[in-house]
Amino acid sequence: MRASLFITCYNDTLYPETGRAVVRLLERLGVELEFHPQQTCCGQMHANTGFRVEAFSQARRFVGLYRNTETVVIPSSSCVAMIRDQYPGLFDELGNEAQRSEFAALLPRIYELSEFLIDRLGVEDVGAYFPHRVTYHASCHSLRGLHVGDRPLRLLNKVRGLELVPLENMDRCCGFGGTFSIKNADVSSAMLTAKLQDVLATRAEYCTALDNSCLMHLGGAMHRQFAAMRTIHLAQILCATEGAPPEETV
Amino acid sequence: MSAPSLSRQLILDRIRAATHKLPSEASVAAEQLRSYIRRGKLSVQDRLKLMIERLREYDAEVVDCMPEEVPAAIGKQLALSGRRVFVTPEGLPAQWLAAGFDWKIDRGLENAEIEQAEGVVTAAFCGVADSGTIVLHHSNSEGRRVLTLLPDWHLCILYANQVVETLPEYFDRCPSPSPLHPSDKDLSLGTPPLHPSDKDLSLGTPPLATYISGPSATADIEMTRIKGVHGPRFLNVILVRDEN
Amino acid sequence: MSGTLTGHPVLDPRHAPPFPIAALPVLRNPQLRKNVAHATNVIQTKRARLVAEKTDWQELRTAAAAIRSHVLEDLGSYLEEFEVRCTAAGGKVHWASDAVEARAIIIEVLRQEQANEVIKIKTMTSAEIQLNPALEAAGIHAYETDLAELILQLGEGEPSHFVVPALHVNRSQVREIFARRMGLKDLPDDPKALTAAARTYLRQKFLTIPTAIGGANFLIAETGSVAVVESEGNGRMCLTLPRTLITLAGIEKVLPRFQDLEVMLQLLARSATGERMSPYTSLWTGVTPGDGPQRFHVVLLDNGRSSILARPVERQTLRCIRCAACLNTCPVYRQTGGHAYGSVYPGPIGAILTPQLMHMEFAQSLPFASSLCGACYEVCPVKINIPQVLLELRSQVVNQERRQPARFGDLMFLGMKTANAIFAGARRFRAAQWLGRIALRPFTRKDGWIHSLPSLGAKWTQTRDLRGLPSQSFRQWWVARGKEER
Repeated sequence: MRASLFITCYNDTLYPETGRAVVRLLERLGVELEFHPQQTCCGQMHANTGFRVEAFSQARRFVGLYRNTETVVIPSSSCVAMIRDQYPGLFDELGNEAQRSEFAALLPRIYELSEFLIDRLGVEDVGAYFPHRVTYHASCHSLRGLHVGDRPLRLLNKVRGLELVPLENMDRCCGFGGTFSIKNADVSSAMLTAKLQDVLATRAEYCTALDNSCLMHLGGAMHRQFAAMRTIHLAQILCATEGAPPEETV
Repeated sequence: MSAPSLSRQLILDRIRAATHKLPSEASVAAEQLRSYIRRGKLSVQDRLKLMIERLREYDAEVVDCMPEEVPAAIGKQLALSGRRVFVTPEGLPAQWLAAGFDWKIDRGLENAEIEQAEGVVTAAFCGVADSGTIVLHHSNSEGRRVLTLLPDWHLCILYANQVVETLPEYFDRCPSPSPLHPSDKDLSLGTPPLHPSDKDLSLGTPPLATYISGPSATADIEMTRIKGVHGPRFLNVILVRDEN
Repeated sequence: MSGTLTGHPVLDPRHAPPFPIAALPVLRNPQLRKNVAHATNVIQTKRARLVAEKTDWQELRTAAAAIRSHVLEDLGSYLEEFEVRCTAAGGKVHWASDAVEARAIIIEVLRQEQANEVIKIKTMTSAEIQLNPALEAAGIHAYETDLAELILQLGEGEPSHFVVPALHVNRSQVREIFARRMGLKDLPDDPKALTAAARTYLRQKFLTIPTAIGGANFLIAETGSVAVVESEGNGRMCLTLPRTLITLAGIEKVLPRFQDLEVMLQLLARSATGERMSPYTSLWTGVTPGDGPQRFHVVLLDNGRSSILARPVERQTLRCIRCAACLNTCPVYRQTGGHAYGSVYPGPIGAILTPQLMHMEFAQSLPFASSLCGACYEVCPVKINIPQVLLELRSQVVNQERRQPARFGDLMFLGMKTANAIFAGARRFRAAQWLGRIALRPFTRKDGWIHSLPSLGAKWTQTRDLRGLPSQSFRQWWVARGKEER
């Protein structure tokens, strides 16, 4: 099985260890991975901030890069939601017929990581070992955009040594919202505090999710407050084995 | 005041311009999308049980009786209420006006007189079990709207055959005439306004209706539910078992 | 200012501060945040239980969305049909193209009635057109009869939610207001006593004031009827006892058929208050001799709705049945309450409705007052895709900005344009990553984290640290690994 990894602009820049975990995990599962060196961004930040023309130029570029690719895997549910929910409107409004059909052909070949593991590879037990107390936050895009349902939990439940602690108000938004965290910083911070109360109350060692965007927001506050908890992307948990625990990140 | 017809035309023109230039959304006629539950599945007995249960959830007092026992049941409920002065609609069966109480029959009572009454007794058009709703169409035996509004205590006589399970089943009991073409302004094809009539002769859509699903209530202060703000605080129902 | 509930001005989008600024004092008010969280929790919990019980909930939503979409597509015909039927039944239908006209029509009717007092049923539409101040200026006093609206009127506050408008007020504040304005020194602060005080206070008004103004939950085209859904009974009082009734309704309130209520009524109360049905639903058609008001006026209000109708993505905004389920579920509203939105329509629906009613000339911050979490769309009984409309409106606001010279002073705007240029090519992207590492190095502490950033970055670091940029990006690692493997 071959797949092409779209790492996402922010993972590439800020969380390369998540990318490394995806690579090691998928290669361990027998996937031959490619990485298109021309990739940059899916356009979500621009689309969500009202810059549609700019978002479309990035969308067009994305489709152009992957139009002949069999399968694209993306370790970020918000980017996949951008492609599934917003690309159609952008291409309808700003694209031409040829671009629209190119996109339509590509769309079914795009997978978020947990979708790829469960739906394409058909695995729930990826042979992971992560002996820690972990709580899972359901990011809004994965929950309501992609309807990933219980896929991430099914994957986590098969991780040996992992103690999964339920998160109260698991489906409530953490308050990141992309540029919302800057444009409405105070409200975003209030939402963050409320969410953090629920997360910290689990007394878990790690909070995980499908999106480093949420985790950057939650983890940034944990670090600021010297909380006894860290964030970690799901890929890094699934990549971890007895012989190879997750990378020590700062 | 500005010429009223100018605004009317202006608004309609704006609307026409707005709806004309956009293609229809992929909206199917509403009829084709009515895949929600219309008919209930409960047996008659279960339906009546549900109606009683829902009424009691709202703190309504519910008793049942056989059809021949209605006057006695009414007398008993009135006696238990500790009240004496009752208003009733003109069309209430005479044998329901139990002896020993002060009956004010509404043949045009003033609001002040109705305000003096301690309770009201009426029939009903329908009961919807799913929500414990009592439907009044304000016929002769249900009374003008003010009658069931001002007094603090309402006794409603509801027949088992009037009880349906779902809200759509109630609407089936007062059906619209065949769908009207929106541009048809010929009133003779429309729904004739009904005169308040006997309870079992209401056909078609009612010009007046009140759906009661519990005593008046508010949760405006700290979400604390308080029963009885302006409407009657006490609802009593006699469910007449005429289902056989 | 003592005795007033808030220092907030009238909720006028023309004058309200932008959302981020308006939100700040509210965020610093723990009492208010607690009240909002409590109120929304109560309704959400009740709603969730009833939705789980209603096995055809999704089918009802589909039908409701279809009915509402359908009526909007042919709105003119349905309004005309309503007018014909209502008029035939003895009602008088007026058309108001904007708020100014609506106020003038209502005041004119009241003048003809020689009314200097009216009783009012809560109607958001009347708040939208700022009716009460206009009535006062015309020498007409309006008595709000809905308990929450009464609290706000006597306490000189503003609504913060459209189903429970006074949810931001607690019992001791209500006690203080009633004690002062009703002259009840020994009034206890328990809700039962407070409600009883309101009942007594309003009873005489119901029985003596001959003119009422209310709104409509639904207008029924095929019968010319109006439906009002309520809990307290003040609606029934105002709809039944007076001689003259004026109903103010947005043009989008119409349903095609009486039978459509079987769908809408199953959704409305469950969504709004977490009840299967509200205590009272009143339906009336024009004038009924001997029963209720003998003079009945309907004022159909446009006030920007027809322009929303004209826009393909935004038209769905008009499906709204004002249940406020979106408010109750919104994680933003939960923290800020309603006043921060600077409009009588707050919350997610307010964020899309208010700027559109203002023809996008005001309230441009509202479409951005959302993290796009989508919880609102999930609960909307008429399936308004609020996030989709928010995104569309954001794009309109940005397009307005594109035409302003001032955009070159807007760091956010410049940042977005720059980022777009960077994302246009992999080489520039790598260069930007490299520059970013250099630029952030001075801010990165020994532990590898950034604690404080200047400018826009300070918005992040006000409450969060940021992990410093790793010295090697993922793609650099990938390339290096490739080289090693060879």
